[in-house]
Order: sequence, then structure tokens, then C-alpha cells
Amino acid sequence: MTSEIFNLKRFWNYFLFDLRQMWRNHSGPAVFIGGLGVIVYVVWVLLSLLFTQSWTGPSLGARIMILFTALIILVMYQSRTYGYLTDKKKGAAWLMIPASSFEKFLSMLLITLIVIPLLFVTVFFLADSLICLADPTVGDSLVGTAMQGMNAFANKVPELSDSLFINLSAGSIVSILLVGFISNLLYFLLCGICFKRYKILGGIGIVFALEVLLSILFNIFFPIWSENLVYLDEVSAAQMVSHTFNWVLVISILIALGLAACIFFRIKTIKH
Amino acid sequence: MITVNNLSFNYGQKEVLKDISMNVREGSIYGFLGENGVGKTTLLTLLSGLKKPRRGSIDVDGRDPFQREPSLLAEQFYLPDEVSPVHAKAIDFARENGALWKNFDMGKFTAILLEFEVDLNQRMDSMSAGQLKKTWVSFALACNARHYYMDEPTNGLDIPSKAQFRKAITKYTTEEAAVIISTHQVRDLENIIDPIIILDKQDVLVNASLQEITSKLYFDYRAELHPDALYVENTPGGSIQVYPNPDGADSKVHLEAFFNAVHAHKALVKSMFNQ
Repeated sequence: MTSEIFNLKRFWNYFLFDLRQMWRNHSGPAVFIGGLGVIVYVVWVLLSLLFTQSWTGPSLGARIMILFTALIILVMYQSRTYGYLTDKKKGAAWLMIPASSFEKFLSMLLITLIVIPLLFVTVFFLADSLICLADPTVGDSLVGTAMQGMNAFANKVPELSDSLFINLSAGSIVSILLVGFISNLLYFLLCGICFKRYKILGGIGIVFALEVLLSILFNIFFPIWSENLVYLDEVSAAQMVSHTFNWVLVISILIALGLAACIFFRIKTIKH
Repeated sequence: MITVNNLSFNYGQKEVLKDISMNVREGSIYGFLGENGVGKTTLLTLLSGLKKPRRGSIDVDGRDPFQREPSLLAEQFYLPDEVSPVHAKAIDFARENGALWKNFDMGKFTAILLEFEVDLNQRMDSMSAGQLKKTWVSFALACNARHYYMDEPTNGLDIPSKAQFRKAITKYTTEEAAVIISTHQVRDLENIIDPIIILDKQDVLVNASLQEITSKLYFDYRAELHPDALYVENTPGGSIQVYPNPDGADSKVHLEAFFNAVHAHKALVKSMFNQ
């Protein structure tokens, strides 16, 4: 008897279907966001030719800024990827597809957290590398710079390994950033499948309200926390910072899991 | 078999369905009639699992449709009044979506679409409303489902397409299928729907086969007025009147006249059919 919750063959069929839908409806915008570097480069060179009569591309710093801007747009775009679920006609047709809520949820996560970011990263860094290859005025590519940075870091490892802080907290910091990125993607995905209108604005509005609340809490608790830090020796202070980062990581993971649970609950209970 | 027990549903404070009970058997094409706003579409969406009942239950072959179990979804098809355009050619749409319905038959899809005279290679987002509807109807029938819920399927279809729709419905649904068609256009479907369900505000007035209807009511097409007529309508060639049929005489059901007779004498007709 076939399981009503998860069946590999059914899931694979559905995932391929979902992937095709995603490609058909969202590959254009995803490639556009990924290609933001090229667009900015062209505009930059044109403006430079117009105003300074010189061929100058965007600097490394400017391209890093573009990368962050594109990442922010990518995160917010997640509210559009499955936003059609709140549409009566398209949402009803989606609900009637013979796959379980869990399979639909899993496919949604794979596409949102892996496929789309992977497509973005490939397009963005490939475009950046090609620009750098074609135009030496812009300097090293972002990938090249990142690799140089990693090499420099690796050379410093013997020195850094003496730093208790790096030893204890580096892993947590990287994990917090990664989990934070995942949470942001999930958050805007959730906004997309919950709000009928103003999907992005609604999402930003809630984030803004939460930021205000968190900054108030931070202003209350940070002075107390840092006051204790001053009186500690180096080892204890590094351990305390590491301990705090571990807690932040645990809370971040819980937030990501909570957001995923909310998405599943929404899929399970959506009505049209 | 579909069993609805004391089903209630409301939109906010407004109660649309109240204590509705009915049975739907396989092997029939049900005509689901009712005035605007009585909850026909709501009931269809409840049957298909798009909504959750506030009270009461729906049982489709022992399963609750709101659980949206894949095995049940694979055996049913809900066709809304307004279908959504898809950014794909009809044939690609059918190939991709059909892979998800275990009984989908691509040959059947192409055959029905050809009968509807719609180009398989036409993009669905460039189709007219009628062509789009025909593509969805073709897809629905090619899914070989056991339960069809169709909301105003002939809306947007031209006159030849309505005939093709009737032909397709009778030709391509199996004996094991229960088809529920909600419609205001009874003339479009008069020859294929049997039994008839008439829904009133918060009540099922009639759920009866054409044979049961003609055994209880007589449809008289003569001009001479009957004293017990429940409904009379003058037509260009004479009149149509509906009156009780205590002798069980044979007549041909006129669906519009029947619907109007039921609405003019709700309590009487309901008691006749609930006996």
C-alpha cells in the first residue's frame, strides 16, 4: 500500500513538475537578479564614458555592494516564487495535484533553499568572472578575491589557532550567518503563501516591527551582558562570548525550524 | 460513494450551508442546480477538499476530502468555473501535469482536444476563454478520475462546443465515475444529467433521478391549463406546465420548468420527494 505522506516515486514526479513550473515562471527573474552585476557594469561603464570619457568598470567594493543588494532582492523574491498559492484559481489547481502536503512542502524547500540560490550564485559569479576576464579595469573577480582571502586565512591559521576566541566562536558565527540566510528565505516564502496582497511590503513591515522590538531588548540586555565581560579574564571572556554565540545559533536554528513548520502548517490548512 | 452528513459551512458570520445531507453514487452524471448564492460552488469546493466543513462530515469512499490524501486526489478532479491560463502549450501542460495523475491517458487527451478542435501546440496563455476551458475539460476527462466536480463547465463555450462537451462527457467517463455538474445552463446539459440535485438556501430540496421526478410530477406541453398546476410557462408553441402525477403517467422532464416548480412550492415538492 502506498503511503499517503511520502512516496519516493510520487515525490520525484512532483518535484520534477514543480521544478519545470519554477523554471517556466521564475527562471527569468532569477537570471535577472543573478545578472544584476552585468546590468550595473554596463550602466557604470556608460556613465563613466559619458561623464569622465574613460572606460571604468565598478570597483571590487562596488561589486560586493551589488552582490549584497542582489542577495537582498533574491531573499525578498521568495515571496513571489509560490505567491500564486493565495490566488483562488491557481492555488486551487495546486491543492488538487495528487501529492501529499509533505511532498509539496519538501519540494518547495528544495527549490527555495537550494535550486534558486544555486541558480543565482552560478549566474552572478559566472557573469562577474566573465566581466573581469573581458575587462581588466575592474580588477579581480569576486570568486578570485574570495579564494585569495581564503588562502590568506589559511596561512594565518597557525597564528589564529592561538586565538581562543577564533577557536571557540568561528564555527558558530559562520553557522549563524548561514542559518540566518536560510531563515530569511523561509520567512519571505511564508509571507508569500500567507499574504494575498503586498507580499513583499507586508514581509518588510513585520521585519521592521521585529527589528524595533529586538533593538529595544538588545539595548536593555547588552549593557548588562557586556558589563560582566569586562571583569572576566581572557579565557573566561572568550568562553562566555562563545557560549552566547552557541545560544544565538540554537535560537537561529529554532527560528528556521519554526518558520518551516509554519510553512508546512499553511500548506496543510490552506483553503480556497 | 460520496456521503454528506449534516454539513454546515459559513463565510464569517454568513451561514451558507446548514445541515446538508445527501448521497452521490457512482455511475451517474448529477445535475447540481440552484439559484445564485445558495452555495453550489461552496459545496463543490467542500466535496473536493478545498474547504473544511464547519460542522458535519463528508465521506468519499471512506476518506475525508479535506485531508487531501494523494490517493483520493488522484481519483478526483475539480474543474472551477474560471480556469487559469498556463504559460505552456496544451500538449506540454498535459504531459507535465498528466504525469501526476496515475490514470492519465495522453491518447485520450489528444482525442478529446481534437474533437474540441483545439490545437495541441497552441500556448494556453494565448487561448480564448472557451479554448482554455476546452483544454481543461479535455485534461480532466483524460485523468480518468472517479469523482468529477465541475462548476459551470459550459460557461464560455460556443454552441458547437456545448454539443461536443455533452458528447465527451458521456463518451469519456466510465461507469465507475460520479460526475457532479453545477450549472445554470440546464438546457446545455438537459439530455445528459440524471439525477438532479436542487440546492436551496441551506437545504437540499431534491435529490432524485429523472425517473423518480416523472413518477411524481407530470410535464404537460399542451396549452390547456391543469387546475393543480404547480408551474405554468407560456411557450411560443403552447405552454409547459408541471403538476402532481398520482397515476404515474409518462412524460418528459423539462428541467427549467421543474426547477421553477420546485422553487415556487419548496415545502410541497420537498415532502413529495422525501416520502
